[in-house]
Amino acid sequence: MIKGRVWKYGDDVNTDVIFPGRYTYARMEPEEMAKHALEDLDPNFAKEVKPGDVIVAGKNFGCGSSREQAATCLVAAGVGAVIAKSFARIFFRNAINNGLLALEIPEAVDAIQPGDEVELDPEAGILRHKGKEYRFPPLPEAVLEILRDGGLIPHLKKKLAKEG
Amino acid sequence: MGRTIIEKIFAAHSEDEVAPGKVIWLELDVRSARDFAGANVVKRFRAAYPGERVADPKKTFFTFDCNAPANTIAYAQNQQVCRVFAREQGIKVYDVDSGIGSHVLMEEGLAFPGATVVGTDSHLNILGAVGAFGQGMGDVDIAFAFRYGKTWFEVPHTTRIVVRGRYEYPVTPKDLTLFLVGKLGSRGALGRAVEIYGEQVEALDMAGRITLCSMATEMGAIGAFLPPSEGLWAFVEEATGRHDFSYPTADPDAEYIQELEFDVSDLKPLIVAPPRPDNVHEVSELEGERVDTVFVGSCTNGRYEDIRLVAEILKGRKVAKGVILKVAPATRRVWGRLLKERWLEVLHDAGAVITHPSCAGCAQGQIGMTGEGEVQLSTGNRNFPGKQGKGPTYLCSPATAAASALFGKITSPERL
Repeated sequence: MIKGRVWKYGDDVNTDVIFPGRYTYARMEPEEMAKHALEDLDPNFAKEVKPGDVIVAGKNFGCGSSREQAATCLVAAGVGAVIAKSFARIFFRNAINNGLLALEIPEAVDAIQPGDEVELDPEAGILRHKGKEYRFPPLPEAVLEILRDGGLIPHLKKKLAKEG
Repeated sequence: MGRTIIEKIFAAHSEDEVAPGKVIWLELDVRSARDFAGANVVKRFRAAYPGERVADPKKTFFTFDCNAPANTIAYAQNQQVCRVFAREQGIKVYDVDSGIGSHVLMEEGLAFPGATVVGTDSHLNILGAVGAFGQGMGDVDIAFAFRYGKTWFEVPHTTRIVVRGRYEYPVTPKDLTLFLVGKLGSRGALGRAVEIYGEQVEALDMAGRITLCSMATEMGAIGAFLPPSEGLWAFVEEATGRHDFSYPTADPDAEYIQELEFDVSDLKPLIVAPPRPDNVHEVSELEGERVDTVFVGSCTNGRYEDIRLVAEILKGRKVAKGVILKVAPATRRVWGRLLKERWLEVLHDAGAVITHPSCAGCAQGQIGMTGEGEVQLSTGNRNFPGKQGKGPTYLCSPATAAASALFGKITSPERL
């Protein structure tokens, strides 16, 4: 279960504003990366984000480059989940592989305002916001398994150990 | 039920049921990393699989193209981290003298019709140009692909696009590409594969196929696939030395989520204005705007044919006073041919500055960035704010770039 405060953004949030290209090699440690998350979109985000906070955005979140830092900087900043109308596909898999919940719940996005509280149950496919429940199709089981284990590498390690 | 092109490629590389929406395990013919993210791939690999070997060093590659040769110590360090890892593992490195990795993979015959390829380049789906599945991914994915030779992938739906009619020069493959990006928009094909058909598409040479497939990412697509063409076969046979490839084609009863049709008979030279690649206009609408810098190159328009066209236009003339024309051939092979056929001399005489094969201005790498207010015309594929510097960036064809460099302002090649 994820519970947090909402940071709301628009359509086409691209990887250059999620984690600027100029830092991709200059800032490689998680604490450092967290300080620059969304820097060129919302300078207050990195200063004020709290663990479990949820990013809510429009269409095509994470478009642009394949840089994984766009997902890992949000993990490092403690973001609990990203909810969007849709995701750019490379960002989506970078998120899942790093254990960051990325959910497409288009019908909920417009109703949610910055600073609102939301509650998410990814396994059951339920989003709660201001007394209203939004149902969404749970992610494919293969993807949920990766998320439960905290990302692709821990997931495969566990799987191989089991088969081992 | 019939299969689309991507479904055909996936079915040949997976034991799982291939159907749109299903997550499958996909066997990979090539696993690669660039200098961008390569060091992080190595770091991830060493942390997750200490002391272990890559699944198959013969199918694993590094391609250095972002910052080549390195002009920052940080990049040099990261390239060296990759080289040391490559030596330990017996992996081939296409080093800083090679050119754009995706192009090198095609020229070397490592990406061939029907192949599956992953790497740390968000434009790796450009490999659709040779009928291969290419996909850009993050560090964890690539470290995993290095170790196990496979990846998980959600089978996408496919959109079928038919382009009716033919255009004539000075309309070029880049204009066709920008036209489709404009029609579909940045999310028009989000998460889908696209197949693009039509007489004009079948007439494209290899450089044109590369240009068209290179901007699938700007439509949000997983990748773009085309029917085979004569130019393709000549290229593939030279690259691989083989004649026995069967090109993946869609079944007549393949299922598409969407079918679109466009006519390009009246297509005019197009240009993308800031701040994003789907902000497409006819060049004539923006004619006369001042241009400070013109960049010719990138995975989209860095082929021999692209740069030769610019040289042909500039032959015996000079770029406008105050305009800097930057040229970066895509690969060492392209560079060598342009040199030996003396096209680089033509460009030099016209006032161009020519750099080594690389992603150059497109990857915050070589051949300079733009300062605030410095207007750049680029043959690249993205113009998001900050990507190529502080200045506004327009995207256009090599012909439009050359015409604009001559006059120092946005100029349609129709005026030449």
